[in-house]
Amino acid sequence: MPAWPAACAAGVVWLAGPAWAADAKEIAATVCQACHGEGGNSVVPMFPRLAGLQAEYLAKQLNDFLDGKRKNDLMAPSLASISSGDVRGLAAYFAGQKPAKGTAGDPKLGDKGKVLYDDGNVDTGVPACVGCHQPEGVGNERYPRLAGQHAAYTAAQMSAFKAGTRTNDRAKVMRAVAERLTEQEIAALSEYLAGM
Amino acid sequence: MDMCNELAMSTPIGARWAVLAGLCIALATGPSALAQGAAGPAASAPAPAEEPETTWNAMQGEKLQALRATGDAARGEITFEVCQGCHRAKALGRPDGSYPRLAGQHASVLIKQMTDVRAGRRRNDKMLPFIDKHGVGPQDIADIAAYLSRLPVPPTQGQGPGTHLADGEKLYKNACVDCHGAAGEGDATRFYPRVNGQHFKYTLREMIDIRDGVRRNANPTMVEAIKRYTNADLEAVADHMSRLPVTGAR
Repeated sequence: MPAWPAACAAGVVWLAGPAWAADAKEIAATVCQACHGEGGNSVVPMFPRLAGLQAEYLAKQLNDFLDGKRKNDLMAPSLASISSGDVRGLAAYFAGQKPAKGTAGDPKLGDKGKVLYDDGNVDTGVPACVGCHQPEGVGNERYPRLAGQHAAYTAAQMSAFKAGTRTNDRAKVMRAVAERLTEQEIAALSEYLAGM
Repeated sequence: MDMCNELAMSTPIGARWAVLAGLCIALATGPSALAQGAAGPAASAPAPAEEPETTWNAMQGEKLQALRATGDAARGEITFEVCQGCHRAKALGRPDGSYPRLAGQHASVLIKQMTDVRAGRRRNDKMLPFIDKHGVGPQDIADIAAYLSRLPVPPTQGQGPGTHLADGEKLYKNACVDCHGAAGEGDATRFYPRVNGQHFKYTLREMIDIRDGVRRNANPTMVEAIKRYTNADLEAVADHMSRLPVTGAR
């Protein structure tokens, strides 16, 4: 019965977990960790925390980097060590890591950010962030978690959407929102999210 | 559920059936009419933005496509996530009138308004980037309308000062009741919105804009009906409407 050995081998692989899980952990440690930190909890403000972000979001961003739809000079050298076959495993790995608690530097600024996050700015037509990114900034499978992210990174991304230099947002929604935000509002929102 | 069935279910009044039947026939002329609409000159060379319609609520283009589509409320709930930033969770709007309540509004009305904004027949710069053609299509619009029209309408809307309610009731009966109904329930088959359960300040602002020609996609009959109403008159009417009990909604 020639089918048996193959079935047994498949069973062993299945019991040991998916083959890409071990590979992803290895790639995370050797390629990603230097910037994104152990388990994706970066300690350097300019490098985003990846721990606990949605797998859907992480996979989209990695694919967009690989396809050139999102560009970052610091990320470019590392992309050479990653193939499209690694994306699913890496996204699942970082999504499964426990996010470290965020740190807020300026609670007063953060309070202003909370008002914007929950209510938007009616005068300038800024929608409340909570509509998509959910209460407490946890996100869902369509919109990424923002809670606990480094303020410097969040601010840089919102500014990039505002300037139109980051263009891989769904249906141009983030560009339309960020275009209406002032630099002060971006700073307040980023501070609020960092403290969550 | 397709739009004809939905309209039928939300319109129990016998006298409306002739209109309803006509609308369903118009909407159900089959794929040839749709294909013509998609390939014909109207679709390939759309009217420039900001042009008011020559015929109010002409049944054509993507409005007709969205009305013909079968809206999926579950899909609409997901598409509506972006809209919640302004219209809030469960589409309850804001009592300060900055953003209207959409919960429980007739699907036909919602489709008309969304496609009017996209076509420039109703100018709304705040909303346009989020409902424009790069993001959503006629099917998405039908889905959103299906979701919103099924949402409950709790009696938490913003109300007026309550100082001229008798005047408001009288003025409502004079100019508004024939189309928007005694209970402010509107008329799905004729694209007349539900006005009960809406925030007072939103209703007031829209009536002033319609009277003054700032909002240009209103039925000409309405513009005519309220052209002699002062701001104080409209405030009394809006106050009356904001206190009508919500009926006919889920």
